[in-house]
Amino acid sequence: MRSFEDDPTLSDLLTPDQIQRLGGALSGLCREPVAISENRTGDAVPVEFNLETVGWLSGGASDGEREAAAELVSFLMLFVAKYRLAANIHHDTTEASYAELQRQNEALKASEAKYRDLSDQLQQKVDEQVAVIRQTQQELYESARLRSVGHLAAGVAHEINNPVGFISSNLRVARDYVKDLEPLLPETADNRELLEDFNDLLSESIEGTDRIADIVADLKTFSSIDQAEHSLCDLNSLLRSAIHLIQTEHDHSLSIMENLGELPRIPGHPSRLSQTLFNLLDNAAQAVGDNGRILVRTLADNTGIQVIIQDNGCGIPDTVRSQVFDAFFTTRPVGSGTGLGLTVARDTVRAHGGQLTLDSQEGAGTRVVLTLPVKQGS
Amino acid sequence: MPDFSPEDNKLALKVVFYGPALSGKTTNLMQLHSLLNPERKGELMVLETRDDRTLFFDMLPIGLRSRSGLDLRLKLYTVPGQVQHDSTRKAVLSRADGVVFVADSQVAQQDNNAIAFGNLEDNLDKVGLDIDTRPMVVQFNKRDLLSVVDEAELQSRWADTPWAPLAMASALQGKGVIETFRALLDRLYTVINAEFDLAGKHDIDRATFISRLSASHGVGNA
Repeated sequence: MRSFEDDPTLSDLLTPDQIQRLGGALSGLCREPVAISENRTGDAVPVEFNLETVGWLSGGASDGEREAAAELVSFLMLFVAKYRLAANIHHDTTEASYAELQRQNEALKASEAKYRDLSDQLQQKVDEQVAVIRQTQQELYESARLRSVGHLAAGVAHEINNPVGFISSNLRVARDYVKDLEPLLPETADNRELLEDFNDLLSESIEGTDRIADIVADLKTFSSIDQAEHSLCDLNSLLRSAIHLIQTEHDHSLSIMENLGELPRIPGHPSRLSQTLFNLLDNAAQAVGDNGRILVRTLADNTGIQVIIQDNGCGIPDTVRSQVFDAFFTTRPVGSGTGLGLTVARDTVRAHGGQLTLDSQEGAGTRVVLTLPVKQGS
Repeated sequence: MPDFSPEDNKLALKVVFYGPALSGKTTNLMQLHSLLNPERKGELMVLETRDDRTLFFDMLPIGLRSRSGLDLRLKLYTVPGQVQHDSTRKAVLSRADGVVFVADSQVAQQDNNAIAFGNLEDNLDKVGLDIDTRPMVVQFNKRDLLSVVDEAELQSRWADTPWAPLAMASALQGKGVIETFRALLDRLYTVINAEFDLAGKHDIDRATFISRLSASHGVGNA
């Protein structure tokens, strides 16, 4: 494209018709006809515009006529060129402005797309955060509930401990008294039977109080009411208490095989670890139903402690395996599971710097491996 | 950018008078048109104006022909100073070989000068030119008015720029206009000569270049 500042040629300024008309009019003024052309001929004089020869004027009766006619054409050219220059620069700047507008439009579109993307991402982030907040809230609620239940259990355990203590001791004294009374009674078959029965009665009662004492001890361990928030934990003893509690819940009908190795004590929250172990055992117990087996194993090496809880129960279907750690995900009937067991377990293990891995096959069973480091942080 | 066409042996240069609105760019050009008597001088084309304000641009072509036959043309343009004509300013400024920045000396106009100077810098950048290397003269016009910034203060303010010393002018009275133009020709010659070897190939040395393009009526020139 020609720039507005390029020197115009005669044909840029005037159409052939206009050149002819101008020539005609000038011929009328001169004694001889004149002609305007872009090419030089015989006696032609230059028609100048802006120091540029834009055309040649020939004809006329004398040099004077030619000069005057050429000057007239130059003069006219000035005004034509003025208009042309103004029109050209107007055209140029309009084009440039339009191009600029288009560029801005593109930039605007791009930035709009970018902001839409950002907004989508933001929405996603908000959704994620909302989910995290919901889960944390639920966990908080759950842990508060557990804590209050723990307190209650600990309180009850403490209250029961005393009466159980004297009942147990009284029963033992009573058994001694029965022994003392034995020689004083006449030797009859009825009396012997009565005494044996009495002995059995007292023995069973003592056994019962021992069991009560055991449960009370387990409850105290489980709720960790006697322990500081953060202390050195013996995972084996936490595990034994949890097993005892789960057995109690299932009327001692579960077949749980313990294979507990020597473990170093590790720093941690005993009540939260107990809750975790209980949750894992509870899952296993639910999975095996009435006639399965649960294997509990612990072992330690110099890097960490492993707790393995393995069952030969129903296993976890492939379709839901990716969801089992999600909060509120549960396969159990409404009301019987919170969907938080594994979530809380994993969070607790992570908080202790450990890992929880799950390996399951539908119909064959599930194996959960809990790994805790021996030394956490510093 | 100098426009050299070897077939015509023609070198066309472009000088643009830039500056804030109403600083006297067109007046500079009109004075040059009436004061100068260079070897060749075309018509001053004052394109559209409204209320005496430039809408498009003004243009004055001058030129000389060297002994070697070089047809050297210098087109002097003004730009419209009003803010809204920025795209026209940019179009006129493109490919400029030299710039005369016409500033308004009045105290109240200093902000406008600064804004226009920034605009010049921006637009030069947009059309691919560098303000620091382009031959340029800064003229402070309207020295005849009363409320003008003191010359010494202006000179010291600009002392550390490539455009010192400043040119002082009163274009309406025809004072300083030719001096400004000659200062520009002087700076322009350095750049053009480096590229086209005017002195060697065309027998145009610095003094010839300046005097033949800026000869004035009456007073004799070298």
